[in-house]
Amino acid sequence: MTDELELLKKDWQKKEFDVPKLSYDEIHKMIWKKSSSIVRWILIISILEFTVPHLLYLLPSMREGMEIYDNIGVSKYLVILSGFTYLIAFYFIFQFYKRFKEISVLDNSKNLMKKIIKTRKTVKYYVIFSLSMIMVTIIIMVIGVYLNDNIVNAFPELKDSLTNISPEKLKITIMMSIGIFGVILTLIMGGIYFLLYGLLLRKLKQNYSELRNLTI
Amino acid sequence: MNKELEHKFVTELQDNQNIVHKVCTLYTNDRDSHNDLFQEITIQLWKAYPKFRGDAKFSTWMYRVALNTAITLYRKQKRRIDTADYESVIFKIKADEYDETEELQLKLMYKAVKQLNDVDKALVFLYLEDKNYTEISETLGISEVNARVKMNRIKTKLRTILNP
Repeated sequence: MTDELELLKKDWQKKEFDVPKLSYDEIHKMIWKKSSSIVRWILIISILEFTVPHLLYLLPSMREGMEIYDNIGVSKYLVILSGFTYLIAFYFIFQFYKRFKEISVLDNSKNLMKKIIKTRKTVKYYVIFSLSMIMVTIIIMVIGVYLNDNIVNAFPELKDSLTNISPEKLKITIMMSIGIFGVILTLIMGGIYFLLYGLLLRKLKQNYSELRNLTI
Repeated sequence: MNKELEHKFVTELQDNQNIVHKVCTLYTNDRDSHNDLFQEITIQLWKAYPKFRGDAKFSTWMYRVALNTAITLYRKQKRRIDTADYESVIFKIKADEYDETEELQLKLMYKAVKQLNDVDKALVFLYLEDKNYTEISETLGISEVNARVKMNRIKTKLRTILNP
């Protein structure tokens, strides 16, 4: 085998690969093309993850939805919670930026992979945190409904159609709906997220473990 | 980035493009993917170029960026169409330079190398480019001992592929 590999080496080195050589202009054109590297994808997806949930609040229908919090009487807790969420989010953005800046193609392969995985982990923890915050919001709402003595007033649009349902039953139905909605929302968002990154980083993770397992 | 730097970079890359073509050949299976990877490596080289200070040879520095792009940054899945055609073109072996047995042997070897995983290919590539174990270990971020052990394992792997 060693001899065969030596033979291959000899052939390899004198080989002029039979691919069309690129001209100056062709290469020159290439340097201004957009990269499609996974680092760029991680950046794009992360920016979306940091911004999209906050942009949702700008939609008028979402803002109207906020009135429900007022009606249930939990808005003051949710304000505190969102203040806390923003604080943590800024911390994550800072961490992400710092780690992202450390990624350099000039690093050795193992370090490069390690840094990409570390950067992605920051986003992963942020997503887990955000999903937990959705769950906490849901729990606060469920408790709010439970403690509310005049639940029909909290949902004025339901008033007419629900006059013949007992307030207890209505309360339980609303609590259940909010709960189920919250869990499904969390699962869908989490599912999309992990699928996205799973696909994006599958190759990198394989190669990284290949390199890491070498270090005895 | 000024015009002068741009010109210098493109000229140097044009002169050394064979290195990038070799990496692309190892890591892709059709012409489109080859060009795609070539482009991504070019972008990465250009982005890193301002940090290249000339304390190493341009080609040495290219190995690292090209391999890192191929095994880490490049995202596209390898397509499996046209494999046979492409390989027979790329690995065209000049018949007059070898006797028949050697020619066949080489063809099989190239095929076997293409079947290795990304990291193994990187090691073989650097080995074929006549890099020593210090350089191989520094490029990949593993110890020199590991690089040697790994290379021996690859030789065994290749042997298994060639003699199933």
